[in-house]
Amino acid sequence: MPLIAAYHRPTSLDVAMDLLQAPNRIVLAGGTVVNADRAPSDLEVVDLQSLGLDTIEHDGDRVRIGAMATLAAGGDADAVPAWMRTIARAEAPSTLRSLATIGGTVAAGSGESLLLAALLVADARVELAGAEQRGLAELLATGVPEGAVITAVTIDPGGTAAEAHTARTPADAPIVAAVARTSNGTTALALTGVADTPVLVDPLDPSAGLTPPADFRGTAEYRLELARILGARAVEAIR
Amino acid sequence: MSDTLSISFELNGTTVTTDVSPSDNLRDVLRREGMFSVKFGSASGETGAGAVLFDGRLASSDVILAAQADGHSVVTVESLNTERELHPIQAAFAAVGAMQSGYSAGAMILGTLALLAENPDPTEAEIRDMLSGILDRETAYVKPVEAVKRAAAVLRGETAAPFAPMILEPLTDGGEAAVYDPADRAPAGSSAVPRLIPSRDVPDMAVVGKPEVKVDAVRLAKGNPAFTDDIEPRGMLYCRLLTSPHAHARIVDIDDRAALALPGVHAVLHHKNVARIKYASGGQSWPNPHPHDQVSFDTKVRHVGDRVAAVAAETVEIAEEAVRLIDVTYEVLPAIFDEREAMEPDAPKIHDEDDTEEIFDAERNIVHQIKAQRGDVEDALAHAAHVFEQTFRVHQVQQCPIEPHISIAWIDEDERMVIRTATQVPFHARRMVAPLLEMDIKDVRIIKPRIGGGFGAKQEMLLEDIVGHLAKATRRPCRLELTREEEFASSRTRHPQTITYRTGVDDDGKLVAQDMYVIGNTGPYGTHGYTVQTVTGMRGLSQYDCPNKRFHCDVVYTNIPVPGAYRGYGAPQAEFALEAHLEDIARELGYDVIEFKRKNWVSTGSEIDIAPHLGERAVVEDELDEYPRIMSEGIEECVAQALREIGWHRRDDPAWREPADRPHIRRGIGFAFCMHGTAIPFLDMGGCSIKLNDDGSFNMLVGATDLGTGADTVLGQIAAEVLGVRLEDIKVYSSDTDMTPFDTGAYASSTTYISGTAAMQAAEVARKRIKERAAMLLDVDEPCTIELRDRRAYAADGRSVSLEDIALDSLHTQEQEQIMGTSSYVSPDCPPPFAAQMAEIEVDVETGQVTVTKLVMAVDCGVAINPITASGQVEGGMAQALGYAHCEEFAFDDDGRLLNTSFGPYKIYRADEMPDTVVYLVQTLEDSGPFGAKAVAEIPKDGVAPALRNAILNATGVAINDLPFTPERVWAALNDA
Repeated sequence: MPLIAAYHRPTSLDVAMDLLQAPNRIVLAGGTVVNADRAPSDLEVVDLQSLGLDTIEHDGDRVRIGAMATLAAGGDADAVPAWMRTIARAEAPSTLRSLATIGGTVAAGSGESLLLAALLVADARVELAGAEQRGLAELLATGVPEGAVITAVTIDPGGTAAEAHTARTPADAPIVAAVARTSNGTTALALTGVADTPVLVDPLDPSAGLTPPADFRGTAEYRLELARILGARAVEAIR
Repeated sequence: MSDTLSISFELNGTTVTTDVSPSDNLRDVLRREGMFSVKFGSASGETGAGAVLFDGRLASSDVILAAQADGHSVVTVESLNTERELHPIQAAFAAVGAMQSGYSAGAMILGTLALLAENPDPTEAEIRDMLSGILDRETAYVKPVEAVKRAAAVLRGETAAPFAPMILEPLTDGGEAAVYDPADRAPAGSSAVPRLIPSRDVPDMAVVGKPEVKVDAVRLAKGNPAFTDDIEPRGMLYCRLLTSPHAHARIVDIDDRAALALPGVHAVLHHKNVARIKYASGGQSWPNPHPHDQVSFDTKVRHVGDRVAAVAAETVEIAEEAVRLIDVTYEVLPAIFDEREAMEPDAPKIHDEDDTEEIFDAERNIVHQIKAQRGDVEDALAHAAHVFEQTFRVHQVQQCPIEPHISIAWIDEDERMVIRTATQVPFHARRMVAPLLEMDIKDVRIIKPRIGGGFGAKQEMLLEDIVGHLAKATRRPCRLELTREEEFASSRTRHPQTITYRTGVDDDGKLVAQDMYVIGNTGPYGTHGYTVQTVTGMRGLSQYDCPNKRFHCDVVYTNIPVPGAYRGYGAPQAEFALEAHLEDIARELGYDVIEFKRKNWVSTGSEIDIAPHLGERAVVEDELDEYPRIMSEGIEECVAQALREIGWHRRDDPAWREPADRPHIRRGIGFAFCMHGTAIPFLDMGGCSIKLNDDGSFNMLVGATDLGTGADTVLGQIAAEVLGVRLEDIKVYSSDTDMTPFDTGAYASSTTYISGTAAMQAAEVARKRIKERAAMLLDVDEPCTIELRDRRAYAADGRSVSLEDIALDSLHTQEQEQIMGTSSYVSPDCPPPFAAQMAEIEVDVETGQVTVTKLVMAVDCGVAINPITASGQVEGGMAQALGYAHCEEFAFDDDGRLLNTSFGPYKIYRADEMPDTVVYLVQTLEDSGPFGAKAVAEIPKDGVAPALRNAILNATGVAINDLPFTPERVWAALNDA
């Protein structure tokens, strides 16, 4: 039995959307998640690499990052603010960031993703084919709508940002991380490691209302404490 | 079945068109195309061993579907192999010793190629970022980073100086302690360059002691097919394992009918159709220590990941499907995981079978009880001025070779079983697998090709019986490679232990008694359970002089994944507890820790007084004429160099320890004193044969097993020195049980000392005959006056004849003979190497996060035969030890299922997060070793954990006695203080 049953590489978004109407078909972005799963399935993959969704460019006062732009490209793009470029590079090691995409990162919605926290505080909005665009926070909470495909993420590149995290080692996925950004007098703060996905929290009371999941790297109690400490540090750093 | 796709892509500049299935990944397709440099490390790509340049970017081919590559460009390291000579990048990796096993060398070289194409003068941070996706368990990334810098310089047109150690003056007179001077700064230089402090006792030599390039460098740098998986016998079948989902269960029934009915399946083996023959899987000398508590396939499973059945099929996918179709009925039993609970009366009995002999107390899960003593510990403790007691807990970790276990077996034209396998112990594996296959030893041949790291995990007969059974059943070649998940759950690990010390100290700060009680957790099988714990006793009670010592150990069964041999072999556990315990005693008694330990550490002439009473060759006191003694040591020089390099005085400087601009940070420096062993006396044996060829070169056959350690190179250097030739004139081959002499294998820090002496002696035999033939040709009466150097034999009057002429004469002209030498060696001695380990750290006292900023190890390994490979051993060992201390751990759910079976969740250090790592080689002359050598491979594993622990104590005042120092553990300790 094959790990995947069929491979499709559409050359237009319309064809891709048609292909994805079948229930056993899923989007293949960079492949670092889908292809790493070697469990057998009857899934067919629809590879979006030929749709021209990999550009990163200014779009008015925002920056538009194509869903198929890799983390490496995001880490190199002048249009992306420097602080976010650093976080994009740190999201995955060299051999995987050249494959993993912004769209795939959003779709996976990992609660440990520092890049998603960065996108949250940068007022990220997710453009979709087959559904209305929406804020990243909403999308992370509800998931990618059935039949829709992420085509781009737009961010506000302005403001000042800082992050603070606690991890086992310097390049490890943080147990909890905080990313704060201030722009036009408004401060946003996002945390990883305290919920199923990264979440926006109150900059004045970062741990309020959180019920973190526990694992062997950190109990819920510890994560709450880290949320409080790291949230305060990140906010303090941009004052 | 899915349809195949036709894809075309550019491979190393040439268009390749091939048919693939939708689920084929690029790595497998590239290997089918002969690109053997592209290696398997894990299916999810996080090891980077399978990285290629994909449209010019370094990318893991494991997670690229072959279909995704259609229309793209792929470059592998084979693209550089256009000439016999190495590409400058490959040459740089060879020159600086950046390749140990070389398993991931192709990926590193490709990454360098891409980086330098974009940026000819990268910063170290940029180099480390490039390497961040290629996990290396061997080099600590120190020399790969240096290789990239060197390649960049060469490609910019700069001249690269030969890579050689930095020679430093000694700080001591060899015996007395140096006075530490805070103003004396260590010399600056690349951390990749070992600092070498020569001994006046050691003469300069032509090949020994020189930074020779490894003999296997070319094949590794080019990605030539050198590893187990780099051949594919015609008609080979692919095998997979069915493993237990339960920690403890009886197999009530196995129904394999559906699996056997699947087209393409050739065999399904399990306890119903494989003979029940008892064995112990640890790769050790005959007779393997009891109990022999394993069979190839049992009626019971004793840990999650334990073997249940094995399948051979036409493809991996069919084998995996067949595994899923095997219907197993289990009776799930209660399980136990903690060694402290295993001996409780209500603990489940893990070995209740009636055919396992010599379990010490099966009812209480006690496999062995080990005792050794000198003097009267209880009396000494009763009368000691001060008595201290502490308990430490050390955890379970995995060796993590980037090449997982892999074996390929076939029946050859003479109906013999040939097993090509990634093993550290080919001769033990042959002896152990033959009875399981119901074959004679003479009908089994084990071939050990290059190995992609072992670290003890491959000191085990792990897969050889399975592929052997399947090859017999199918009469087809059979290949079995563990997945990364299986490598974690179903191979071997380090033993967890609970260690309690009671120590008596007199009013002068001298130790008067040491009592060490260990509960060793050997998991569900004995394997190395006895010998690892005995080494714990040796290492825990040897490095400090003390008149009264006692070791008592209960080795217990539990239901965790199987512990076995892991580099250090019981020593890292013991040294963590010992060096932490003595640190705390020093603080309690108000001593400077160096001063206190110096009062007690051994010195030249000290008796090694507990080791003879432990291990496979243990004796009682009456059987000893005298205790062995320490005959060489450079302890004070190691300590002096390490203190200077780390800047020891800063640990007492409040301004450094509490940086004003980072209020939540505390800094600290920790020290650990280390002593290890060199081989197992009267047990470890190595053989070597050397023969002279027509051109004056030599073939050297050794049974020793180079895991990437550089053993082949070191043994070649030893022979070259004796024979007066260049290293390149010695063609080293290891190891093949049909062709090479016996060797116990690569473990116990024995290869340089044991196999090296065998190589030296074999070369001396050949040299003697060469001199006699030279005397004939030069008309010299006394062959002993002939000297061999520069590939010639010189008479005392200066006349000479080349080795080539001697060879041609002896092989073809007169009184023809094959000049060759054969020897083997077993040692009565076990000369210990010593080391001073330093760690510098920062602790975030609000979060508990520990950041390690620098590691220093100054090692007395006698004469380093090759200072580059020796320093590489220290660097890599420290990096592994750092993981043990800081971030690596097995995490389980309540049912014993391992939760972190991939890299990331199981955290090993990457290139872009390693602390600065500096190595000092303090030369001493060990008379019993070849050219003065002692061991170096394992001692780097011993000191990092206690040094780190003591640094945290220095920084925060908080002592933590459990490993690893993960953020929440440290945070909790800080809060409890």
